Amino acid sequence: MKKPIDTQNIILHKCMRETLTLEAAIKESNRCLLCHDAPCSAGCPAGTDPGKFIRQIKFYNYKGAARTIRSNNILGSVCAHICPVEKLCEKACSIKALEDPININGLQRFATEYGKIHKLEPLKRSKKNNGKIAIIGCGPAGMSCASQLAKMDYDVCIFEREPSAGGVIKWNIPEFRLPEDALNYDIENLANQGVEIKFNSAIDSKESLNKLKSEGFEAVFISSGLSEAFMLDMFKTYTNALDYITFLRQVKFGKDKLNLKDKNIAVIGGGSVAIDSAVSAKSCGANRVYLISLEHLAELPADEEEIKLAQLMKIIFKSGSQVTGVIQDGNIITGIKGIEIDWVQEGKFTPDNARQVSGTEFSLNVDLVVQAIGTKPGKEVGNFAEGIKTKGKGVIMVNDTFETNIPWIFAGGDVVNGGATVVQAVAEGKKAAESMDKYLKNRR
Amino acid sequence: MKNNADLSINFCGVKFENPFCLSSSPVGYHAEMCARAFDAGWGGIVYKTLGLEKSFKVVMPSPRLNAYHVGDKRFVGLQNAEQITDRPIADNIKDLLWLKKNYPNKVLISSIMGYVDEDWTELAKMSEDAGADLLELNFSCPQMAHKHAGHRIGQDFHAVAAFTEVVKKASKLPVIAKMTPNITDMIPVALAAKEGGADAISAINTIRAITDIDIDNFTPLPNIHGNSSPTGYSGKAVKPIAMRFVSELCNSKQLNLPVSAMGGIETWVDALHFLLLGATNLQVTSGIMRYGYRIVEDMIEGLSDYMIERQIKSLDEIIGKAAQKIVDPSDFNTRYQVVSVIDENKCIGCGQCFISCQDGANQAIKFDAATRKVSVNEERCLGCLLCKHVCPVWDCISYKEVDTSYTKHAAIF
Repeated sequence: MKKPIDTQNIILHKCMRETLTLEAAIKESNRCLLCHDAPCSAGCPAGTDPGKFIRQIKFYNYKGAARTIRSNNILGSVCAHICPVEKLCEKACSIKALEDPININGLQRFATEYGKIHKLEPLKRSKKNNGKIAIIGCGPAGMSCASQLAKMDYDVCIFEREPSAGGVIKWNIPEFRLPEDALNYDIENLANQGVEIKFNSAIDSKESLNKLKSEGFEAVFISSGLSEAFMLDMFKTYTNALDYITFLRQVKFGKDKLNLKDKNIAVIGGGSVAIDSAVSAKSCGANRVYLISLEHLAELPADEEEIKLAQLMKIIFKSGSQVTGVIQDGNIITGIKGIEIDWVQEGKFTPDNARQVSGTEFSLNVDLVVQAIGTKPGKEVGNFAEGIKTKGKGVIMVNDTFETNIPWIFAGGDVVNGGATVVQAVAEGKKAAESMDKYLKNRR
Repeated sequence: MKNNADLSINFCGVKFENPFCLSSSPVGYHAEMCARAFDAGWGGIVYKTLGLEKSFKVVMPSPRLNAYHVGDKRFVGLQNAEQITDRPIADNIKDLLWLKKNYPNKVLISSIMGYVDEDWTELAKMSEDAGADLLELNFSCPQMAHKHAGHRIGQDFHAVAAFTEVVKKASKLPVIAKMTPNITDMIPVALAAKEGGADAISAINTIRAITDIDIDNFTPLPNIHGNSSPTGYSGKAVKPIAMRFVSELCNSKQLNLPVSAMGGIETWVDALHFLLLGATNLQVTSGIMRYGYRIVEDMIEGLSDYMIERQIKSLDEIIGKAAQKIVDPSDFNTRYQVVSVIDENKCIGCGQCFISCQDGANQAIKFDAATRKVSVNEERCLGCLLCKHVCPVWDCISYKEVDTSYTKHAAIF
């Protein structure tokens, strides 16, 4: 049983869902069938093991539940808020044959918050006697890899170019989805393991990487994420066309400067970040917010829940539509032109497969365009890791064990998978850590 | 259209429009409450136990209740440290008079508790004069602050016989002796009551119990200013124990008295269970404390529909129908053996049956990890049906009779 979304909180830039009370957690955990093979646990890429932590809640072992979550997933609090559970653990829930699935992220949030309130320190401090490892980028994959290595007593240092930790979680996930406290608590847990995070420390050149080697780091994990957003050519010269990375960061950390009150916004894209951008615009007082996507409503890549959220926030869906041009005043966009489309071939959601439907032309007055049509790795990856093999839009190539073609360099997270969920990044970070451990043991 | 069956009963020569009564407790504390209960449809009330304040001044401990919760299931049982009435006898008698006058067709049972012969005599007479139809002798309250009352009397055969006799001498009304379950065998006490002249037995009063302990201050609950006590436990949780005692009373040929049953009745099905065991009259408190007098509507309608569906004209036709099927374990036919049968189409693959059979039975269930389906190894199945009872799908697991020519594998090592 999920609590309903509170749209009032979205406008106040607070978390859109309330946490489960102890009472609600007991009720919810008592609905769980405690399956023998816990398909929910099998459904979690990061191995957070909901089957176990729900059982622990049911048997009043709340601290045990917090320990289970934390030791399996260093981003236990963050994932409790933002994980697309309906596609993962809850999708697999056996009780769905009889009734609604167990509210797994609600219970996860309850347990992590219980741990926090009771000042639980579930993870022991690394003895740091097992070699030095450097991690580039303190996002989900980097944090996960660091935590796993610290558990194996490595001396881990994360190099982060930004002044704060969290990566995409910190800068691009809106407050209504993830309260700042949740990330901070995850970071605190990581710090308690003795992992050092060096801020404002970009590793972006050959020299900086070589320096790590000379400082005694025996292996490196690249988890620098995707920092460059794709832009449509037609918007490139205008000052009021932003990519979602820039936009969401400004909403979170510079609302006042953005001044969206009563403005009309067009968001281009149909995925989760497009919805986040549209809802964020609305939360800042925007007037009309359009979500323009090639995909029709039923085809949107965003989760059902996200679409419901957008509907609650009165986002105007221009689904199955294509932007055909801009109306401008100098280098300012004042409107966009569009047209509805059909697919030439069903099931292939790419611009070259779109057929415009004549007589459906429309134009919209807009004050800002936000593009959420994808991201790619920044150029720095090629700079510092010279000779590293990449593919496609520039993502790093790794083998099954997250090793790159350069022996001491491993990589994982978005910079490898091209952009996936936080829980996927956590999974990759964990697996890479195991692989790095094996690599270092073999070398000795 | 609703067509009610005849739910009337005759209990000790008194006609009840239906067998459902309030039991002696806070739910029958004063006339206004009892009137509302009658209006809701209850056939009779056992008024809150009367005592004489000149013999013993009752003061209720506080707080006096604690509920037993199991996980998210609230109020599975109720513990109380309630005493008999703390209202003046004169007020209660006025209430009884008012009730009889205003509800002449409903049954009024006066529950009384004395400490010496004179008390019992006086209370019996006052009740009869006030219009009570029956008397119930409270030999069973497990938490009376008075040292010579309640279940302490109910455990003493001689006292039970003697006080019953005193009451029978004082009043012409039929007398019900209310038994305590805080005893190994209820029959000797019931027989003592019969010897004293009791016309019927009621059971069970509450079971002495401790429902909870505050783990921060080490104080059992209810926390009565730092202390607690094993006091009367009732509600749905005690129904199985109540059914056992009621069954023993109803099956005692030597006793052969009508029984008014209570202990965990909330629904018409609970009520029917006690009737099938042989009880004629039924009493309820915890269910009312939890859900209100209104629950009687569903008891009446439910039992009525059950009778109409089966063309049962009178409750007499079903009272005691299950009684003869209760035998001593030594009389079981062990040549009859069963094994579990799992309906694969209904199975949702949770594997709870597998876990329970693995750790609590004889490892007779196989869990297929790939298909998430379970199957029974009949050679190993003990027929205990643990699997059936843990299955979340109510009708997924059943059982079938098997040939007993082979010996079941009790153990493999």
